[in-house]
Amino acid sequence: MSEPDIIIVGAGPGGLAAAIAASRTGLKVEVIEQRHAPGGAIYRQPVDGVEPVPQAAAAKRRWQSLSTRFAESGVPVRTHSVFLGIDGDGTFLIDDRDRGKLDRLQPRGVIIATGAVEKVYPRPGWHLAGVSTVGGLQVMMKETGRAPQGRILLAGGGPLLIAVAAQMARLGNPPVAIVEAGDPAKELAAGLQILISPGLFAEAFSYLRTVYRHGVPWLRGHRLVSIKREGQDLAAVIEDRKGSRRRILADRIGLHDGIRPNDFGMPPETTVNRAAPFVIHAGDCREALGAVAAEADGERAGRMMAGLLAHGRHEINELEELVARNRRSQAVLARIFAPVQSGSLLDGLTDETILCRCEGRTVGDLRQLCSRPDPLTGREIKHNGRFAMGACQGRFCAANTAALMARLRPDIPAPAPGDLIGRRWPARPVSIGTLVGVPPHAEGQDEVLR
Amino acid sequence: MSVNRFIWQGREISFRPGESIAAALEAAGIVRLGLDALGRETRYFCGIGACQSCLVRVDGTACEACLTPARSGMTVTPLEDRS
Repeated sequence: MSEPDIIIVGAGPGGLAAAIAASRTGLKVEVIEQRHAPGGAIYRQPVDGVEPVPQAAAAKRRWQSLSTRFAESGVPVRTHSVFLGIDGDGTFLIDDRDRGKLDRLQPRGVIIATGAVEKVYPRPGWHLAGVSTVGGLQVMMKETGRAPQGRILLAGGGPLLIAVAAQMARLGNPPVAIVEAGDPAKELAAGLQILISPGLFAEAFSYLRTVYRHGVPWLRGHRLVSIKREGQDLAAVIEDRKGSRRRILADRIGLHDGIRPNDFGMPPETTVNRAAPFVIHAGDCREALGAVAAEADGERAGRMMAGLLAHGRHEINELEELVARNRRSQAVLARIFAPVQSGSLLDGLTDETILCRCEGRTVGDLRQLCSRPDPLTGREIKHNGRFAMGACQGRFCAANTAALMARLRPDIPAPAPGDLIGRRWPARPVSIGTLVGVPPHAEGQDEVLR
Repeated sequence: MSVNRFIWQGREISFRPGESIAAALEAAGIVRLGLDALGRETRYFCGIGACQSCLVRVDGTACEACLTPARSGMTVTPLEDRS
């Protein structure tokens, strides 16, 4: 069997665009994808026979074009396959979950296109069942064609809240309220005009109109400060810009404070070392700028990798310009949605607030570790306090922990989230059975650990 | 067992072909997915396989409910079955 020259991790817009570009040169390319179908989070497809969630026409066109071009490229996708890492001798490791088997490949180039993860600030009660990310609610809607049921509260900040609220409304269950840290209405008109793409303006306007038509309260300049379970309800405490608080009861709560690259534990970019495979990061996992930029950046990465392997020339200037344009748009959006309240949510957290969701490590645990006379490094905080050590590999605590450390010890240089996480594989939990080559459900193997 | 159903805690859960375990449980109104090794509730959170909050066991093997497609006849149990 001939092995691929290039493996691409992730079949979202970045990965698919990279695959199309790299395969044009005749190199053998394969994509690995953890789910059963390409699309990534942004273009997650509905199950068979289900109407897709109402979305902007431009997004639909982008996916149609991308998926058609990808199909024409003939690049195969290994589904239900999770990237574990590249070991010391350059072997690329995949957890093939359908077969419960570890695949070892020796590609000459690897493009990491694992997309983004949502930023979520810790709040008391954010670990409770029924609380998810807003993106989590959205991908579930995209998959099932159904809005989440019951009273849904969306909280945090940014344009995703409006988009999801509008999609929920169009599916028949608008959220009870949107809690938005910024005050975009104040600067919306001015801000949106600066946005380069008129398409983006139309999209935002259409979502806003839907939200208003359904009478969804858009509580700007507010923040969700805590969640408690009360009987069957989740009780959220919402604080306005003057500090007055009120409660909102909900069945489900979605939190979202932005996005960041999902590059946790990923091998760093390598474009010079000939001994190991070249590694290029593409799309949101390089810089989280959204689907349009991810597609352009994937194309850039695909061309670059083909150039590295075929010693050919590659032209990427116009792609870099497109990415830069999206960077400027995102910066404008970040300004429009900037939180209006001074002070970080991180400052007022109770000691009992969970910081590390995987292992239940609390803000109090971190405060204690940070009060030692001999200050611990990020790495020591991990090893002593188990922050960023759990199954999510720090994806949902490392940045919050690093930021809180910086606030607790303002006189000491702040650690970067990467200092806590370190570099290691597997990048995702894998069963010991898979690693040692025991097939699933082998006799005598009644306990499989992941 | 009829087609397009799996077992969760002794209950038959129906699903549409291609749906994840998380989506099927959600449609059945199940939000709490059992306990993890530390005795805390597992639950759906990020929806993209990143947070590891929704781990369940499918016929004994731990996996993310949000990534794993539901299949007829599978038995899905909490990560730590303490029943």
